[in-house]
Amino acid sequence: MEYSQHFLYPSSFFTSREPYIVKTVLGSCVAVCLWDKRLHFGGINHYMLPMWNGADLASPKYGNIAIEKLLERMRSMGSRTEDLQAKVFGGGDLLSVSGESSTTKIGERNIEVAKMMLAQEKIPIVGSSLGGKRGRKIIFLTDTGEVRHKFLEKHEI
Amino acid sequence: MDSLSDKQLLRELRLRLEERKTFEEKYNGLFSEYQLLGKRLKESEALKSHFISNITNEIVNPFSSIIGLSKSILSVEKQDWKKIVTMVAMIHSEAFNLDFQLKNIFTAAKIEAGEVQPNISKVNVKSLVQTVIDSFLVVARKMGIEIEFDYRIEFGFGKNFYYKTDSEKLKQILTNIINNAVKYSYKESKVIVSMWVEDDVLNISVQDFGTGISEKNQNLIFERFKRLDTGINSINQGHGLGLSITKSLLDLLNGTISIKSKKGEGTTFTISLPESSAVVNDLTDDDGGFFVDDGDELF
Repeated sequence: MEYSQHFLYPSSFFTSREPYIVKTVLGSCVAVCLWDKRLHFGGINHYMLPMWNGADLASPKYGNIAIEKLLERMRSMGSRTEDLQAKVFGGGDLLSVSGESSTTKIGERNIEVAKMMLAQEKIPIVGSSLGGKRGRKIIFLTDTGEVRHKFLEKHEI
Repeated sequence: MDSLSDKQLLRELRLRLEERKTFEEKYNGLFSEYQLLGKRLKESEALKSHFISNITNEIVNPFSSIIGLSKSILSVEKQDWKKIVTMVAMIHSEAFNLDFQLKNIFTAAKIEAGEVQPNISKVNVKSLVQTVIDSFLVVARKMGIEIEFDYRIEFGFGKNFYYKTDSEKLKQILTNIINNAVKYSYKESKVIVSMWVEDDVLNISVQDFGTGISEKNQNLIFERFKRLDTGINSINQGHGLGLSITKSLLDLLNGTISIKSKKGEGTTFTISLPESSAVVNDLTDDDGGFFVDDGDELF
Protein backbone atom coordinates (compact mmCIF):
# COMPACT_ATOMS: atom_id res chain seq x y z
CA MET A 1 0.00 0.00 0.00
CA GLU A 2 1.38 3.38 -1.02
CA TYR A 3 1.11 5.80 1.90
CA SER A 4 1.43 9.54 1.89
CA GLN A 5 2.78 11.17 5.01
CA HIS A 6 1.54 13.92 7.21
CA PHE A 7 3.09 15.39 10.31
CA LEU A 8 0.37 16.59 12.63
CA TYR A 9 1.22 19.78 14.48
CA PRO A 10 -0.38 20.73 17.77
CA SER A 11 -3.66 22.65 17.47
CA SER A 12 -4.55 21.05 14.17
CA PHE A 13 -6.36 18.00 12.92
CA PHE A 14 -6.25 15.78 9.87
CA THR A 15 -8.62 13.49 8.03
CA SER A 16 -8.27 11.67 4.74
CA ARG A 17 -10.03 9.09 2.60
CA GLU A 18 -6.65 8.29 1.04
CA PRO A 19 -4.24 6.08 2.96
CA TYR A 20 -2.06 8.36 5.03
CA ILE A 21 0.57 7.89 7.70
CA VAL A 22 0.03 10.57 10.30
CA LYS A 23 2.76 11.17 12.84
CA THR A 24 2.63 13.24 15.91
CA VAL A 25 4.45 13.73 19.18
CA LEU A 26 2.55 14.14 22.42
CA GLY A 27 3.51 15.46 25.82
CA SER A 28 0.64 16.61 27.95
CA CYS A 29 -1.29 17.03 24.73
CA VAL A 30 -3.87 14.48 23.74
CA ALA A 31 -4.58 13.02 20.32
CA VAL A 32 -7.92 11.41 19.52
CA CYS A 33 -7.90 9.05 16.54
CA LEU A 34 -11.29 8.32 15.04
CA TRP A 35 -11.73 5.49 12.58
CA ASP A 36 -14.76 4.61 10.52
CA LYS A 37 -15.16 0.86 10.37
CA ARG A 38 -17.69 1.02 7.56
CA LEU A 39 -15.84 3.37 5.19
CA HIS A 40 -12.34 2.42 6.36
CA PHE A 41 -10.87 5.84 6.81
CA GLY A 42 -9.92 7.94 9.77
CA GLY A 43 -8.93 11.23 11.27
CA ILE A 44 -6.83 12.46 14.15
CA ASN A 45 -6.49 15.64 16.18
CA HIS A 46 -3.87 16.98 18.56
CA TYR A 47 -4.96 19.39 21.23
CA MET A 48 -3.03 21.15 23.96
CA LEU A 49 -5.61 22.33 26.47
CA PRO A 50 -8.89 20.85 27.66
CA MET A 51 -11.46 23.59 27.27
CA TRP A 52 -11.81 26.70 25.20
CA ASN A 53 -11.71 29.74 27.47
CA GLY A 54 -13.85 31.95 25.26
CA ALA A 55 -11.11 34.54 24.92
CA ASP A 56 -8.63 33.15 22.41
CA LEU A 57 -9.53 32.19 18.88
CA ALA A 58 -11.76 29.12 18.95
CA SER A 59 -9.08 26.88 17.50
CA PRO A 60 -8.48 23.13 17.82
CA LYS A 61 -5.85 23.96 20.40
CA TYR A 62 -8.68 23.20 22.82
CA GLY A 63 -10.00 19.70 23.36
CA ASN A 64 -13.69 20.43 23.24
CA ILE A 65 -13.25 22.26 19.95
CA ALA A 66 -10.74 19.84 18.45
CA ILE A 67 -12.94 16.81 19.07
CA GLU A 68 -16.05 18.54 17.81
CA LYS A 69 -14.30 19.70 14.65
CA LEU A 70 -12.83 16.29 13.96
CA LEU A 71 -16.25 14.69 14.35
CA GLU A 72 -17.84 17.32 12.16
CA ARG A 73 -15.25 16.74 9.44
CA MET A 74 -15.66 12.97 9.59
CA ARG A 75 -19.41 13.33 9.31
CA SER A 76 -19.10 15.68 6.37
CA MET A 77 -16.99 13.01 4.72
CA GLY A 78 -19.79 10.49 5.08
CA SER A 79 -19.25 8.93 8.48
CA ARG A 80 -22.08 7.90 10.72
CA THR A 81 -21.41 8.30 14.41
CA GLU A 82 -22.32 4.69 15.14
CA ASP A 83 -19.56 3.44 12.82
CA LEU A 84 -16.84 5.35 14.56
CA GLN A 85 -14.41 4.03 17.05
CA ALA A 86 -11.79 5.97 18.95
CA LYS A 87 -8.25 5.53 20.17
CA VAL A 88 -6.90 8.06 22.59
CA PHE A 89 -3.27 8.84 23.40
CA GLY A 90 -1.19 11.26 25.42
CA GLY A 91 -1.94 13.36 28.45
CA GLY A 92 1.35 12.63 30.14
CA ASP A 93 2.50 14.61 33.13
CA LEU A 94 5.80 16.07 32.01
CA LEU A 95 5.88 18.93 34.45
CA SER A 96 9.14 17.88 36.01
CA VAL A 97 10.72 18.32 32.58
CA SER A 98 9.14 21.40 31.16
CA GLY A 99 9.36 23.31 34.42
CA GLU A 100 5.83 24.61 34.24
CA SER A 101 4.01 25.43 37.43
CA SER A 102 2.29 22.45 38.97
CA THR A 103 -0.96 24.22 39.72
CA THR A 104 -2.89 22.41 37.04
CA LYS A 105 -2.72 18.90 35.77
CA ILE A 106 -3.24 19.69 32.12
CA GLY A 107 -2.64 16.15 30.91
CA GLU A 108 -5.26 14.66 33.19
CA ARG A 109 -7.84 17.25 32.25
CA ASN A 110 -7.09 16.74 28.58
CA ILE A 111 -7.79 13.04 29.00
CA GLU A 112 -10.99 13.69 30.87
CA VAL A 113 -12.37 15.88 28.11
CA ALA A 114 -11.73 13.18 25.50
CA LYS A 115 -13.39 10.51 27.60
CA MET A 116 -16.41 12.63 28.41
CA MET A 117 -17.00 13.87 24.90
CA LEU A 118 -16.60 10.44 23.34
CA ALA A 119 -18.94 8.94 25.91
CA GLN A 120 -21.48 11.61 25.10
CA GLU A 121 -21.34 10.69 21.42
CA LYS A 122 -21.37 7.00 22.36
CA ILE A 123 -18.17 6.39 20.48
CA PRO A 124 -16.29 3.46 22.02
CA ILE A 125 -12.64 3.86 22.97
CA VAL A 126 -11.07 0.69 21.60
CA GLY A 127 -7.47 1.45 22.45
CA SER A 128 -5.56 3.95 24.50
CA SER A 129 -2.32 4.79 26.20
CA LEU A 130 -2.80 7.65 28.58
CA GLY A 131 -1.15 9.49 31.42
CA GLY A 132 2.20 8.51 32.79
CA LYS A 133 5.30 10.64 33.03
CA ARG A 134 6.64 10.36 29.53
CA GLY A 135 5.92 11.76 26.11
CA ARG A 136 4.80 9.63 23.21
CA LYS A 137 5.32 9.38 19.51
CA ILE A 138 2.42 7.90 17.64
CA ILE A 139 1.75 6.93 14.06
CA PHE A 140 -1.78 6.61 12.82
CA LEU A 141 -2.71 4.79 9.64
CA THR A 142 -5.85 6.35 8.26
CA ASP A 143 -6.91 3.33 6.17
CA THR A 144 -6.69 0.63 8.82
CA GLY A 145 -7.06 2.69 11.97
CA GLU A 146 -3.90 1.08 13.30
CA VAL A 147 -1.82 3.09 15.73
CA ARG A 148 1.87 2.50 16.44
CA HIS A 149 2.95 3.92 19.70
CA LYS A 150 6.27 4.47 21.34
CA PHE A 151 7.27 6.17 24.58
CA LEU A 152 9.93 8.82 24.35
CA GLU A 153 12.80 9.23 26.70
CA LYS A 154 12.42 12.31 28.82
CA HIS A 155 15.04 14.40 27.07
CA GLU A 156 13.41 13.98 23.67
CA ILE A 157 10.55 16.33 24.40
CA MET B 1 -32.14 -12.35 56.92
CA ASP B 2 -28.92 -10.55 57.70
CA SER B 3 -29.30 -7.58 59.88
CA LEU B 4 -26.64 -4.93 59.99
CA SER B 5 -25.05 -4.13 63.25
CA ASP B 6 -25.20 -0.56 64.45
CA LYS B 7 -21.55 -0.16 63.70
CA GLN B 8 -21.96 -1.28 60.13
CA LEU B 9 -24.96 0.91 59.72
CA LEU B 10 -23.10 3.91 60.99
CA ARG B 11 -20.22 3.26 58.67
CA GLU B 12 -22.54 2.91 55.74
CA LEU B 13 -24.21 6.18 56.61
CA ARG B 14 -20.96 7.98 56.95
CA LEU B 15 -19.85 6.64 53.60
CA ARG B 16 -22.99 7.82 51.90
CA LEU B 17 -22.72 11.20 53.53
CA GLU B 18 -19.22 11.57 52.22
CA GLU B 19 -20.29 10.46 48.80
CA ARG B 20 -23.02 13.01 48.84
CA LYS B 21 -20.57 15.68 49.84
CA THR B 22 -18.29 14.96 46.90
CA PHE B 23 -21.25 14.96 44.58
CA GLU B 24 -22.35 18.26 45.97
CA GLU B 25 -18.92 19.71 45.49
CA LYS B 26 -18.84 18.48 41.93
CA TYR B 27 -22.28 19.88 41.34
CA ASN B 28 -21.29 23.26 42.72
CA GLY B 29 -18.20 23.28 40.55
CA LEU B 30 -20.20 22.42 37.48
CA PHE B 31 -22.83 24.99 38.31
CA SER B 32 -20.35 27.82 38.59
CA GLU B 33 -18.74 26.66 35.37
CA TYR B 34 -22.13 26.70 33.75
CA GLN B 35 -22.77 30.22 34.93
CA LEU B 36 -19.43 31.31 33.63
CA LEU B 37 -20.23 29.81 30.27
CA GLY B 38 -23.51 31.68 30.16
CA LYS B 39 -21.69 34.90 30.85
CA ARG B 40 -19.15 34.11 28.18
CA LEU B 41 -21.87 33.42 25.70
CA LYS B 42 -23.44 36.79 26.32
CA GLU B 43 -20.07 38.49 25.96
CA SER B 44 -19.44 36.59 22.81
CA GLU B 45 -22.72 37.78 21.31
CA ALA B 46 -21.82 41.36 22.13
CA LEU B 47 -18.39 40.88 20.63
CA LYS B 48 -19.89 39.46 17.49
CA SER B 49 -22.01 42.51 16.85
CA HIS B 50 -19.03 44.77 17.57
CA PHE B 51 -17.01 42.72 15.16
CA ILE B 52 -19.54 43.04 12.39
CA SER B 53 -19.74 46.80 12.73
CA ASN B 54 -15.96 47.03 12.96
CA ILE B 55 -15.48 44.95 9.90
CA THR B 56 -17.93 46.97 7.87
CA ASN B 57 -15.91 50.09 8.55
CA GLU B 58 -12.71 48.24 7.96
CA ILE B 59 -13.58 46.94 4.53
CA VAL B 60 -16.25 49.21 3.16
CA ASN B 61 -14.46 52.49 3.91
CA PRO B 62 -11.16 51.65 2.20
CA PHE B 63 -13.05 50.37 -0.80
CA SER B 64 -15.11 53.52 -1.08
CA SER B 65 -11.97 55.65 -0.88
CA ILE B 66 -10.20 53.58 -3.48
CA ILE B 67 -13.11 53.76 -5.86
CA GLY B 68 -13.57 57.48 -5.28
CA LEU B 69 -9.90 58.34 -5.59
CA SER B 70 -9.32 56.30 -8.72
CA LYS B 71 -12.33 57.92 -10.30
CA SER B 72 -10.97 61.38 -9.56
CA ILE B 73 -7.58 60.43 -10.96
CA LEU B 74 -9.27 59.54 -14.21
CA SER B 75 -10.70 63.03 -14.46
CA VAL B 76 -7.57 64.95 -13.42
CA GLU B 77 -5.80 66.98 -16.09
CA LYS B 78 -2.76 65.09 -17.30
CA GLN B 79 -0.22 67.80 -16.50
CA ASP B 80 -1.39 67.97 -12.89
CA TRP B 81 0.76 65.02 -11.88
CA LYS B 82 1.39 66.25 -8.33
CA LYS B 83 -2.27 65.82 -7.51
CA ILE B 84 -2.18 62.37 -9.05
CA VAL B 85 0.78 61.29 -6.95
CA THR B 86 -0.95 62.37 -3.76
CA MET B 87 -4.05 60.46 -4.68
CA VAL B 88 -2.14 57.37 -5.68
CA ALA B 89 -0.38 57.51 -2.31
CA MET B 90 -3.77 57.60 -0.62
CA ILE B 91 -4.98 54.68 -2.69
CA HIS B 92 -1.88 52.81 -1.74
CA SER B 93 -2.35 53.31 1.97
CA GLU B 94 -6.03 52.36 1.82
CA ALA B 95 -5.24 49.25 -0.22
CA PHE B 96 -2.40 48.40 2.13
CA ASN B 97 -4.73 48.56 5.09
CA LEU B 98 -7.37 46.53 3.31
CA ASP B 99 -4.88 43.86 2.35
CA PHE B 100 -3.57 43.71 5.91
CA GLN B 101 -7.02 43.41 7.46
CA LEU B 102 -8.19 40.77 5.02
CA LYS B 103 -5.07 38.70 5.58
CA ASN B 104 -5.70 38.86 9.31
CA ILE B 105 -9.29 37.75 8.96
CA PHE B 106 -8.35 34.82 6.74
CA THR B 107 -5.58 33.82 9.11
CA ALA B 108 -8.01 33.87 12.02
CA ALA B 109 -10.38 31.65 10.08
CA LYS B 110 -7.56 29.27 9.24
CA ILE B 111 -6.36 29.12 12.83
CA GLU B 112 -9.87 28.32 13.99
CA ALA B 113 -10.15 25.62 11.35
CA GLY B 114 -6.87 24.09 12.52
CA GLU B 115 -5.27 24.56 9.14
CA VAL B 116 -2.29 26.66 10.09
CA GLN B 117 1.03 24.88 10.20
CA PRO B 118 4.56 26.12 10.51
CA ASN B 119 6.45 26.26 7.28
CA ILE B 120 10.05 26.49 8.35
CA SER B 121 12.95 27.68 6.26
CA LYS B 122 16.13 29.64 6.73
CA VAL B 123 15.02 33.22 6.90
CA ASN B 124 17.09 36.35 6.55
CA VAL B 125 15.41 38.02 9.50
CA LYS B 126 17.13 41.35 9.08
CA SER B 127 15.81 41.88 5.61
CA LEU B 128 12.44 40.49 6.63
CA VAL B 129 12.08 43.11 9.37
CA GLN B 130 13.29 45.80 6.98
CA THR B 131 10.69 44.74 4.40
CA VAL B 132 7.91 44.96 6.96
CA ILE B 133 9.10 48.38 8.11
CA ASP B 134 9.33 49.60 4.51
CA SER B 135 5.76 48.53 3.87
CA PHE B 136 4.67 51.02 6.53
CA LEU B 137 6.67 53.96 5.22
CA VAL B 138 3.89 55.63 3.29
CA VAL B 139 1.39 55.26 6.12
CA ALA B 140 3.91 56.40 8.71
CA ARG B 141 5.03 59.40 6.67
CA LYS B 142 1.45 60.56 6.45
CA MET B 143 1.33 60.70 10.24
CA GLY B 144 4.83 62.11 10.59
CA ILE B 145 6.05 59.00 12.36
CA GLU B 146 9.58 57.83 11.96
CA ILE B 147 10.27 54.10 12.22
CA GLU B 148 13.77 53.32 13.45
CA PHE B 149 15.38 49.92 13.10
CA ASP B 150 17.87 49.10 15.82
CA TYR B 151 19.66 45.96 14.67
CA ARG B 152 21.80 44.61 17.49
CA ILE B 153 23.15 41.36 16.08
CA GLU B 154 26.83 41.46 15.36
CA PHE B 155 27.42 37.95 14.16
CA GLY B 156 25.95 35.95 11.34
CA PHE B 157 26.59 35.40 7.71
CA GLY B 158 28.12 38.58 6.36
CA LYS B 159 25.82 41.40 7.30
CA ASN B 160 22.82 39.15 7.45
CA PHE B 161 21.53 36.82 10.06
CA TYR B 162 19.76 33.65 9.06
CA TYR B 163 17.34 32.01 11.42
CA LYS B 164 15.13 28.97 11.00
CA THR B 165 11.55 30.08 11.32
CA ASP B 166 8.38 30.66 9.33
CA SER B 167 8.86 33.81 7.29
CA GLU B 168 5.22 34.41 6.36
CA LYS B 169 4.02 34.05 9.93
CA LEU B 170 6.81 36.17 11.34
CA LYS B 171 5.93 38.83 8.78
CA GLN B 172 2.31 38.78 9.84
CA ILE B 173 3.23 38.92 13.52
CA LEU B 174 5.46 41.93 12.97
CA THR B 175 3.01 43.65 10.68
CA ASN B 176 0.38 43.40 13.39
CA ILE B 177 2.61 44.74 16.13
CA ILE B 178 4.06 47.56 14.05
CA ASN B 179 0.59 48.42 12.77
CA ASN B 180 -0.58 48.79 16.36
CA ALA B 181 2.43 50.89 17.25
CA VAL B 182 1.85 53.25 14.33
CA LYS B 183 -1.89 53.36 14.92
CA TYR B 184 -1.64 54.28 18.58
CA SER B 185 1.28 56.69 18.23
CA TYR B 186 0.84 60.42 18.51
CA LYS B 187 1.62 62.43 15.41
CA GLU B 188 5.22 63.45 14.88
CA SER B 189 6.71 60.74 17.02
CA LYS B 190 8.86 57.66 16.71
CA VAL B 191 8.50 53.89 16.60
CA ILE B 192 11.61 51.90 17.43
CA VAL B 193 12.00 48.34 16.22
CA SER B 194 14.87 46.52 17.91
CA MET B 195 16.22 43.08 17.26
CA TRP B 196 18.69 41.08 19.32
CA VAL B 197 19.62 37.53 20.26
CA GLU B 198 19.70 36.37 23.85
CA ASP B 199 20.44 32.76 24.85
CA ASP B 200 20.05 31.68 21.22
CA VAL B 201 16.54 33.10 21.14
CA LEU B 202 15.59 35.83 18.70
CA ASN B 203 13.94 38.86 20.28
CA ILE B 204 12.20 41.64 18.46
CA SER B 205 10.67 44.57 20.26
CA VAL B 206 8.51 47.37 18.95
CA GLN B 207 8.32 50.51 21.03
CA ASP B 208 6.00 53.41 20.53
CA PHE B 209 5.47 56.64 22.43
CA GLY B 210 1.75 56.74 22.04
CA THR B 211 -1.32 56.41 24.18
CA GLY B 212 -0.18 53.40 26.19
CA ILE B 213 -2.29 50.77 27.87
CA SER B 214 -3.27 50.76 31.51
CA GLU B 215 -2.16 47.77 33.56
CA LYS B 216 -5.71 46.58 33.99
CA ASN B 217 -6.19 46.33 30.26
CA GLN B 218 -2.89 44.72 29.40
CA ASN B 219 -4.27 41.21 29.68
CA LEU B 220 -7.48 41.99 27.86
CA ILE B 221 -5.90 43.08 24.63
CA PHE B 222 -4.92 39.57 23.62
CA GLU B 223 -8.52 38.40 23.62
CA ARG B 224 -10.19 38.10 20.27
CA PHE B 225 -12.37 40.96 19.08
CA LYS B 226 -11.41 42.88 22.19
CA ARG B 227 -10.75 46.53 21.56
CA LEU B 228 -10.30 49.09 24.23
CA ASP B 229 -11.87 51.94 22.36
CA THR B 230 -14.97 50.34 20.97
CA GLY B 231 -18.07 52.29 20.24
CA ILE B 232 -18.96 55.45 18.52
CA ASN B 233 -16.11 57.44 20.04
CA SER B 234 -13.46 55.17 18.66
CA ILE B 235 -10.75 57.13 16.87
CA ASN B 236 -8.96 54.16 15.48
CA GLN B 237 -10.26 51.47 13.24
CA GLY B 238 -9.70 47.79 13.75
CA HIS B 239 -11.49 44.53 14.12
CA GLY B 240 -9.77 43.49 17.32
CA LEU B 241 -8.28 40.35 15.91
CA GLY B 242 -4.69 41.50 15.48
CA LEU B 243 -3.21 40.57 18.82
CA SER B 244 -5.10 37.33 19.27
CA ILE B 245 -3.84 36.25 15.86
CA THR B 246 -0.35 37.35 16.80
CA LYS B 247 -0.54 35.24 19.93
CA SER B 248 -1.87 32.18 18.12
CA LEU B 249 0.83 32.42 15.47
CA LEU B 250 3.51 32.75 18.13
CA ASP B 251 2.05 29.72 19.89
CA LEU B 252 2.55 27.77 16.71
CA LEU B 253 6.21 28.78 16.57
CA ASN B 254 6.72 28.25 20.31
CA GLY B 255 7.26 31.96 20.75
CA THR B 256 6.00 34.33 23.39
CA ILE B 257 4.94 37.93 23.53
CA SER B 258 5.20 40.33 26.41
CA ILE B 259 4.06 43.86 26.95
CA LYS B 260 5.41 46.79 28.88
CA SER B 261 3.30 49.87 28.93
CA LYS B 262 2.39 52.93 30.87
CA LYS B 263 -0.69 54.94 30.15
CA GLY B 264 0.28 58.11 28.36
CA GLU B 265 3.89 57.15 27.82
CA GLY B 266 3.73 54.45 25.21
CA THR B 267 3.98 50.73 24.81
CA THR B 268 6.67 48.17 24.09
CA PHE B 269 5.78 44.76 22.72
CA THR B 270 8.55 42.19 22.76
CA ILE B 271 8.38 38.86 21.01
CA SER B 272 10.77 35.99 21.72
CA LEU B 273 11.10 33.36 19.09
CA PRO B 274 13.16 30.20 19.57
CA GLU B 275 14.76 28.74 16.48
CA SER B 276 12.56 25.94 15.18
CA SER B 277 15.32 23.78 13.81
CA ALA B 278 15.31 20.76 16.08
CA VAL B 279 11.63 20.04 16.09
CA VAL B 280 11.23 20.31 12.38
CA ASN B 281 14.22 18.24 11.37
CA ASP B 282 13.54 15.49 13.85
CA LEU B 283 9.94 15.07 13.16
CA THR B 284 9.32 15.61 9.53
CA ASP B 285 12.05 13.81 7.69
CA ASP B 286 13.73 11.34 9.98
CA ASP B 287 12.79 8.03 8.47
CA GLY B 288 11.07 8.75 5.19
CA GLY B 289 8.60 5.98 5.84
CA PHE B 290 7.11 4.83 9.05
CA PHE B 291 9.20 3.20 11.68
CA VAL B 292 8.59 -0.39 12.65
CA ASP B 293 10.63 -0.89 15.78
CA ASP B 294 10.49 -3.72 18.19
CA GLY B 295 9.66 -1.12 20.81
CA ASP B 296 6.43 -0.20 19.10
CA GLU B 297 3.16 -1.02 20.67
CA LEU B 298 0.23 -1.59 18.40
CA PHE B 299 -3.25 -0.29 19.09
